[in-house]
Amino acid sequence: MISYKVFQEYTDEGIIIYGKVDKDGIVRVTCNNLDKHFQEWLFENKDNLPTDIQAKIDSGDLVITDDS
Amino acid sequence: MALNTIPNKGLTSRGYPSDRLVTPIIINGDMSVAQRATSVTGKTSDGYYTTDRWNHSINLGTWSIDQATDVPTGQGFAKSHKMTCTTGGSTSAGTQTYFHTRLEGQNLQMLKKGTSNAESLTLSFFAKSATTTGTMCVELFDTDNSRQISKQISLTTSWTKYTITYDADTTGTLNNDNGASLYIIFWVSAGSNFTSGTLSETWTSNTNANRAVGQTNFAVTNTELYFTGVQLEVGEFDSTTIPSFPFESFENNLRKCQRYYYKETSSSNGANQWSAVGGISQANVGRVMMFLPTPMRTIPTSLGTSGTAGDYKIQNQNTGETCNAVPTFVSANLDKVQFNLSTAAGMTAGYYCALRYNAAGVGYLEVDVEL
Repeated sequence: MISYKVFQEYTDEGIIIYGKVDKDGIVRVTCNNLDKHFQEWLFENKDNLPTDIQAKIDSGDLVITDDS
Repeated sequence: MALNTIPNKGLTSRGYPSDRLVTPIIINGDMSVAQRATSVTGKTSDGYYTTDRWNHSINLGTWSIDQATDVPTGQGFAKSHKMTCTTGGSTSAGTQTYFHTRLEGQNLQMLKKGTSNAESLTLSFFAKSATTTGTMCVELFDTDNSRQISKQISLTTSWTKYTITYDADTTGTLNNDNGASLYIIFWVSAGSNFTSGTLSETWTSNTNANRAVGQTNFAVTNTELYFTGVQLEVGEFDSTTIPSFPFESFENNLRKCQRYYYKETSSSNGANQWSAVGGISQANVGRVMMFLPTPMRTIPTSLGTSGTAGDYKIQNQNTGETCNAVPTFVSANLDKVQFNLSTAAGMTAGYYCALRYNAAGVGYLEVDVEL
């Protein structure tokens, strides 16, 4: 199963970057909150998100926009 | 500046004027561009794998996907798209395995779909199966209006040119935007959810059961499927009147593909060659900019890498420090991507810097805004 995690935060710029964790545990893709694949994953896993991702949703820094 | 059109010669009275400038509707229909890879194995899920613009929906079998050199003789093609089933299986109700391309709505407005002047369409392509033969459903799916039409072909073990006409659709206009509006789908395997009805050979609102009726299961171990020369034309043609394949230069084809996906590899740059340039924004962190060769379809939101930090270095003054994290996306616009490089030590804020690949053939950067 792939997953995502908070990969980097550029606090001065207000940018949060997420890393896609592949099945082998390696992060090959980094993305922002608007990324289509990230949003699809968020929607599919919205009831069981990793703690760091859920924290960004709870704080309002991350919004699930995909409703497909 | 590259021309994006070429003259198409030798057309019949039912075709276009011989001096018409042709822009192919389907990008990379001759399978000549494969930026991601030329050969992959063990694929069991959806994705773009080898030839650009050609996607796979896979939920049955394990597949190797290749850009192959087995092509129909004397037709001018040098490459084909090859799918090899390394482990087959039996269909279940939800089996939905196919090969397809997705077209932007703004490039299809000339079809006048959804109006009383809607155009019929003709799809032409070369295909063969190395082992399993049988019926393949070839479907057009309007994703804006959830409408579809399917036709059957009989796939054989010899390269065959297929020419299929599809009626005009006076219902459902295609969005005039950069989103996916039309899928061209070559079914490989379909379960009863897609085969239990009556094949929809005229445009109709989608009913899954009518999409792939009669489909043979090609997800059989050692089956090889080949495709090339995929061409979509406005109007009704048969095998003798279809215009010749609209060959483009490799450069034009590549540039069109790069609107959707761009990959820079260290093999093309060579080991220790510089790539994106920028500055050390804070101690041991470089912010660099990569210029893209053509404006992308939409603003990129991600950056792909090899996943190994050691494949990348920051070049600063006369030294290169190996990265301690993979290049990390920061932001982008249509023709540039900004990303960060970081090292454990050795970089002082305020100096210039550049991305340097650590060795040939390992590191890469990819930007993906495929449909």
